[in-house]
Amino acid sequence: MKTNIYDHVKASIHGYVDKVTEPRAMYKRQKKAKAFFGSLFRYVFLIGLCFVILFPTIQQVLMALRAPGDVNNPAVVWIPENWSIMNIKLSMLALDYWHALMNTFKMSFIVMILQLASTALAGYAFSRLRFKGSNILFIFVILTIVIPPQALSLAQYLYFRELSLVGKESSIYVMSGLGMGIRSGIFIYIFRQFFRGLPKELEESAMIDGASVFRTFWNVMLPNARGAMVTVGLFAFVWQWNDAYFVKIFEVASSSEFPLLTMKLINVAENVYAQLFYSGALSLIGQNVWDNPLFLALISNVSALLIMLPLLIMYLFVQRGFVESIERTGIVG
Amino acid sequence: MMESNTKDMILKPSKKDGKKRFEISYKNQKRIWAAIFLAPWVIGFLLLFLVPLIRSLIYSFYDLVPQAGSIQQTFIGFQNYANAINEHVTSTSSFRVELINTTVDSLINLPVLLIFSLFIAVLLNMKFRGRAAVRAIFFIPVILNSAAVATALGGGDAISQILEQSGIDRIFDLEFYLIQTGLTPAIVSFIVGLISRIYDILALAGVPILLFLASIQSVPKHLYEAAKIEGATSYEMFWLITLPNVSPHIVTVTVYALVDTFLTSSVSTIISDELRLQHWGLSSAMAWIYVGTILVMLGSLAVLAKGLKIGGSHYEN
Repeated sequence: MKTNIYDHVKASIHGYVDKVTEPRAMYKRQKKAKAFFGSLFRYVFLIGLCFVILFPTIQQVLMALRAPGDVNNPAVVWIPENWSIMNIKLSMLALDYWHALMNTFKMSFIVMILQLASTALAGYAFSRLRFKGSNILFIFVILTIVIPPQALSLAQYLYFRELSLVGKESSIYVMSGLGMGIRSGIFIYIFRQFFRGLPKELEESAMIDGASVFRTFWNVMLPNARGAMVTVGLFAFVWQWNDAYFVKIFEVASSSEFPLLTMKLINVAENVYAQLFYSGALSLIGQNVWDNPLFLALISNVSALLIMLPLLIMYLFVQRGFVESIERTGIVG
Repeated sequence: MMESNTKDMILKPSKKDGKKRFEISYKNQKRIWAAIFLAPWVIGFLLLFLVPLIRSLIYSFYDLVPQAGSIQQTFIGFQNYANAINEHVTSTSSFRVELINTTVDSLINLPVLLIFSLFIAVLLNMKFRGRAAVRAIFFIPVILNSAAVATALGGGDAISQILEQSGIDRIFDLEFYLIQTGLTPAIVSFIVGLISRIYDILALAGVPILLFLASIQSVPKHLYEAAKIEGATSYEMFWLITLPNVSPHIVTVTVYALVDTFLTSSVSTIISDELRLQHWGLSSAMAWIYVGTILVMLGSLAVLAKGLKIGGSHYEN
């Protein structure tokens, strides 16, 4: 009986050891452990970096939610004592927010479409429709990337003044439609690199099937360069949204009928008091707060947050566009 | 119409339905379409770029003095260039110092930036919970990287002073801890410098990360599938599939990062300031020195890339 139990225990231990040391089980466990540590590392790393990015932003958001009277209350460090959206309301008034938002959105959208059209066409021509001298032309594209806008803006301004386009939003549209908008050169470069990366067989099979050059571009190549489209569209939109330089040079937002967010923001940053006074926000709040320089700085910070916010919300939807590439049908890899 | 045009690869006159018409070879069709595709860019280039460019080049050799109703021009040769390099000073710095600093900085930052952003892009391309949120957070620096927003946030100096007083501007004093551990001061200052750069690098990396992300996602999926079936590890897949396919875009990112570093640097600010002070000749000369520096850097990087065989697309030819 005793030996039986002993044998039994021994056998079960052996069985267990066998099970543990069985190569397939070991391999599986190893793989699991690797995956676990991999994802642990990934989370720690990404959360750390996200924290670095978010830290100043969170600070500012919490500042924005303080009641105006609490701005330099030393007892309040992180969590506001009295929650309030008064600062946001005031900033919105100072920025003429909804009006400026609509204008900025409209302009950024039109510029995005124009930039996409002009740069995608040029990028395709540089990568797939090679001709004698196209490399030399491409050197000029590099030049357009490298030359700082300051070097050209004076002469461009004189140009637009002759065409009496200064002070109109169409000057910006002309620039981007002709592939000379904000960083159009880098967009052409991006498109060229993407189109170059597409297999030649795609183009050839389209050609053999009798598609014209334009059809090949539109129906075959462009859908395959979706990643580039999303990226370029996103950058064109964001950079136009944030642009203060060209808008200022061409005096687009100088008239009060066409306020733009960035110009309003610069006005607010330079002179908060006047901006609040003219927008009528002054009557909304007690006079004593105005002696407080911190409060004025706070309003300009909140205004900056308000400008970023729509972009961030939009990006949350757009980032789905960064999906896996479309399966390349028609080619057996 | 179209069909017969394209099928006819060889240039030959063809008669169909007894009607004579032009048959354009596919090659010629391509040329015509290339001209059409490039037309907007070429027009823009000639009118909005080349003419201003030549004007600015001419300005750089002149002393321009604004007079009532006109601009007085006097030719002074390379005087503006000499002034920019030798004599120009601002209240805190000078053009030459800033130019050298920016050049050195960008050369140090560039490799770090490239490796870092590629690494982040690979991480963000994996599937994990909260990916959308993390991607959105990494997008914040791209938005913040704007002159208008920076001006407005710069007004917050008073706020950061207050935060400093309450002692929460820094989570912990890294330098202090590192010295406590008994490391040599040189290593400590290197580590601290690197860490204080993290935010700068993150701010610059926003666009490169997105560019890499898009390029990683354009890698054909069947390559990964085949590799998986052959039993490749994800490490091998990165080196043998992702990296070669992404390498053409490394060149794009390099060009972007270099130009962006210069564009957001103090060199660019000095040029704008001089422009605002109506020193048109001087600011043009500075702009040309700046362009020359970048072009030399890009040229040497291009030679380097060719030597290392980075950037060629394997689908080409």
